[in-house]
Amino acid sequence: MDRSRDLTMSGNLQSNVTLTITEKNGATRKRVVNMVSKTYGDTEKRMMKFLDPADVRGTAMLIIDNKESQDDMWIYLPALRRTRRIVSTEKGKSFMSSEFTNADMASGSNTDFSISHMPQSGENGLWVIESVPVDDDIADEHGFSRKVTWLEKQGLKIKKIDFYNFDGDLFKTIEILKTQPKTGGGEGYIMTEMYATNHLNGRTSRVLFDELNTSASIPDNTFIADNLSR
Amino acid sequence: MTGFIIKYKWWIISVSAALAVVLGVLIPTVETDPEIRNFVPRTMSSRISTDSIEKDFGVQDMILVLLTDSSVLTPENLGSIKEIDRGFSRMEGISTVNSLFTARKIEGRDGMMIVDPLIRRIPDNPASTEQLREDILANQFALGISVSEDMTAAAVTGTVNPDVPEYLTLNRVDSIIAEQDSEKKMLTGGLPYIRRHIVEDVNHDALFLIPIALVIMLLVLKLSLGGWKSVFMPFSVVVLTVIITMGLIPLIGWKFSILSLLVPIILISVSNNYGIYLVTRYKELKRSEVPPGRREMLKQLTGSLRMPILFSGLTTIAGLLGLLSHSIIPARQVGILAAAGVAVALALSLLLIPSLIYLRERPGTKSRPPRDHSKDLLSRAIGAVSKLVIRHPGRVLLASAVITLAVSTGIAFLRIDTNQENYFPHKHPVRKASELINSKFGGSQTISVMISGNIKDPAVMKGIDDLTQHLKQQEGVGSVFSIADVVREMSKALYEPDEEGYDKIPDSSQAIAQMFELYNMSGNPDDWKQLMNFENTKAHLLVKLSRPENEIIRDLRDEIKSYTADFPAVITLGGYAIIMADFAQKIIQGQVTSLLFALLAVFILLSMIFRSVRGGLIGSIPLAVSILIQFGVMGHTNVAIDAATALLSSIMIGVGVDFTIQFLWKYNSELRKGLRHAAAIAMTYRTTGRSIVINALSVMAGFSATFISGFLSIRYFGYLVLLSIGSCLICAIIVIPAFMLWFKPAFIEANINRTKIKNDKNGKDVLSAVSTADSFTADTYGTTAGCHTVDGQKP
Repeated sequence: MDRSRDLTMSGNLQSNVTLTITEKNGATRKRVVNMVSKTYGDTEKRMMKFLDPADVRGTAMLIIDNKESQDDMWIYLPALRRTRRIVSTEKGKSFMSSEFTNADMASGSNTDFSISHMPQSGENGLWVIESVPVDDDIADEHGFSRKVTWLEKQGLKIKKIDFYNFDGDLFKTIEILKTQPKTGGGEGYIMTEMYATNHLNGRTSRVLFDELNTSASIPDNTFIADNLSR
Repeated sequence: MTGFIIKYKWWIISVSAALAVVLGVLIPTVETDPEIRNFVPRTMSSRISTDSIEKDFGVQDMILVLLTDSSVLTPENLGSIKEIDRGFSRMEGISTVNSLFTARKIEGRDGMMIVDPLIRRIPDNPASTEQLREDILANQFALGISVSEDMTAAAVTGTVNPDVPEYLTLNRVDSIIAEQDSEKKMLTGGLPYIRRHIVEDVNHDALFLIPIALVIMLLVLKLSLGGWKSVFMPFSVVVLTVIITMGLIPLIGWKFSILSLLVPIILISVSNNYGIYLVTRYKELKRSEVPPGRREMLKQLTGSLRMPILFSGLTTIAGLLGLLSHSIIPARQVGILAAAGVAVALALSLLLIPSLIYLRERPGTKSRPPRDHSKDLLSRAIGAVSKLVIRHPGRVLLASAVITLAVSTGIAFLRIDTNQENYFPHKHPVRKASELINSKFGGSQTISVMISGNIKDPAVMKGIDDLTQHLKQQEGVGSVFSIADVVREMSKALYEPDEEGYDKIPDSSQAIAQMFELYNMSGNPDDWKQLMNFENTKAHLLVKLSRPENEIIRDLRDEIKSYTADFPAVITLGGYAIIMADFAQKIIQGQVTSLLFALLAVFILLSMIFRSVRGGLIGSIPLAVSILIQFGVMGHTNVAIDAATALLSSIMIGVGVDFTIQFLWKYNSELRKGLRHAAAIAMTYRTTGRSIVINALSVMAGFSATFISGFLSIRYFGYLVLLSIGSCLICAIIVIPAFMLWFKPAFIEANINRTKIKNDKNGKDVLSAVSTADSFTADTYGTTAGCHTVDGQKP
């Protein structure tokens, strides 16, 4: 699992991200953001600017995703001409109101989980790995009792993750629909299309990365709060 | 009819038994519906609007776990609250959770907007406990919602997920509570718990009330009829009637409700009467010098009693069918079921009992003579009443009028109560929890206001904010929640207190949209799924009522309507409290219409029986007086008209009218024999008077089983039905004779002048039939003792 996680560590990344959330009744909400991210050891920094819909265009966020401590987040609201820092400790919190959590969108740490092979692991060219939070606090923070990850034996690419709630029922599935190799060689890959289904409320979320560039040179001073309003 | 019974006696017995078996088997399949919302039709406007709000914002039914202590901010108590919060959050049966541990604080500090849990760690020293207390006092999302202002009570609230069976969710909640050290300090409340208690108590009542009522009736029958063999026939009619009628509930597809409990009690109390008439007449015939043969016995029984029994049953059915004009669904069902049950009892009494008598009868055997009751307490009391009425009819009438008027002043204090929490006794956990919720957590009953439009439009958002602030000032409102609260709270985090935008709704839709986006980034989108829909096209304003009284709810509804008359979006008003206010209105309407319907039906029947409109009117006097007394006593004793007590009048009319008919017809028959007025009254007292009293007492005894009901409302119903039947009885044996002596109405005199009374098509005269019945009902209770003079007159 550590090896698999390392493959998804993105390094530098520039992309337009389209997030579509669909309610059970068919109502949809679409957000398009321009995202720039860069990884510094255990820390990932992301700058996101809303492109669509019109009433939130120009809203910008800077996220410093610390693996071992609380995340830092700044947000700029153009209509109010205000930048505010938001402090939050909850990894299991929804990412932009979608079915993805902030933890799903980051590479994550495996130290929070006890990891083992499921009985069917190795069949059909797939490893099936179960990850169980090491204690109740971590389980509460992530919002699930266990997750089961399907990985290709060849290349260790993640295909699907099932999340189980505290009643032991499957409540969410994330499918990796498309990936793209990182530019510059190596085995790493970027998940360019992910689809999450909430089996309890019927809501789905799709994240699509396009105009992806993993080789761009991103200056370190991109990730400062002053840039949010520019 | 005699031939029919003799020919088909085995068929009659077999069909009666088969019906009871077939329908009895269905009884265990009947479901109990504890949802009081289903008392009102789905087509009622408040139900339609509430359904439409719940379609967008989910069912608002909440489970509450309440913890009370001198301070809830101790590590032990907070630990228990955290565990319950965790249990709720992990349960599929609960969709959203509110507690001290889910509450967030949004604050602006050093240029930062901090959205964090209100409690990060459970405080373990006085300083951090004090800090938490201050944080709570400053947090409008926790104070009065998750913890009381005095910090002596905390609540964990979960909104139920209707996709999971409610009993499973409640069982899980119970097991979580049982694991806590603070279990003894905890109470559970909310509509799901109320519903569970209703189902449990209805089932408990059904299991205990019905057998107890049957045992009481068995004893009454034993006292009335003597031998167990005589008791068997009317009692079998009672049992079969109850089984067949209750079996109709699942057969029709109806569900059992609190009100359905009244059906078997009504039937047990009423359905034995017809059997008593027949068995007593049978015993009387057996005591004749030369007892008739089997066929002749049956002919005399059915011939003389068919009409009076039918009349007695029809007046009861007419009164009960008055409930059909109620718009409360279970009230209509009670009316139909009870009327059907009385019809079944009539049919069984007129067909099954004669069949059993025919089979049982051994020609030539003779019964023992009846006991002499002339000197027992009841006879002496009736004698005393008779003397008083005969000597002072005017004074009796005056005193009755004064008492009736005095008692009826209570009508001015009558109140309607539709709060189902009040079905339970004061010490019941439901009442304790609801009192705590109403006093410390803003109230358990809610009004919902749905605003449909562009919620991001500042005019709409400001309108929601104005309405929120306005409603917070209204009497009876515990708390109000809306999306405007969240927006204002965010503005407090985004602006400094001295800035223009602090604690205000922004002026542009972009600013509001961006605030929503900001919250989406930092908070949980489910935090406000009860306040705004996914598309931001509908908002939900939730008003909690600390005083869920109907007057307050109606005032609030009118206030919301007038305040939002020019609102820049569409307003839909609903919620449980609004349904209950409409329900109260329906109870009043139902009470009036069912009363009028029953009175009219009984008046028409009485007019037919007495062949006089005036006779119908006079015969209705006891009912009118009893209605005034019933409502007057309810007003004076603060017993509210609710779903159960609203049925009283119709039932009382159906049951109580018999006494007047019996008295008047016996009186008429005595006059026709040539007695003078006072003597005729005295004779009527001595014969029918006793039977009327015992008849009334037996009905009252049956209804007394309701005294042990788990529902306060059913108990009050029991007390009041006794009062009503008691007043019908008193009117029939005191007011009516005094009226007859004082006014000597023409309709009763007119009959005397007839030398020959026309027979109907069947060759049976209505008047003589009823009179015949009266002589038998008088004999029913063994009052055939020799006459003695009253007021010095020889009859």
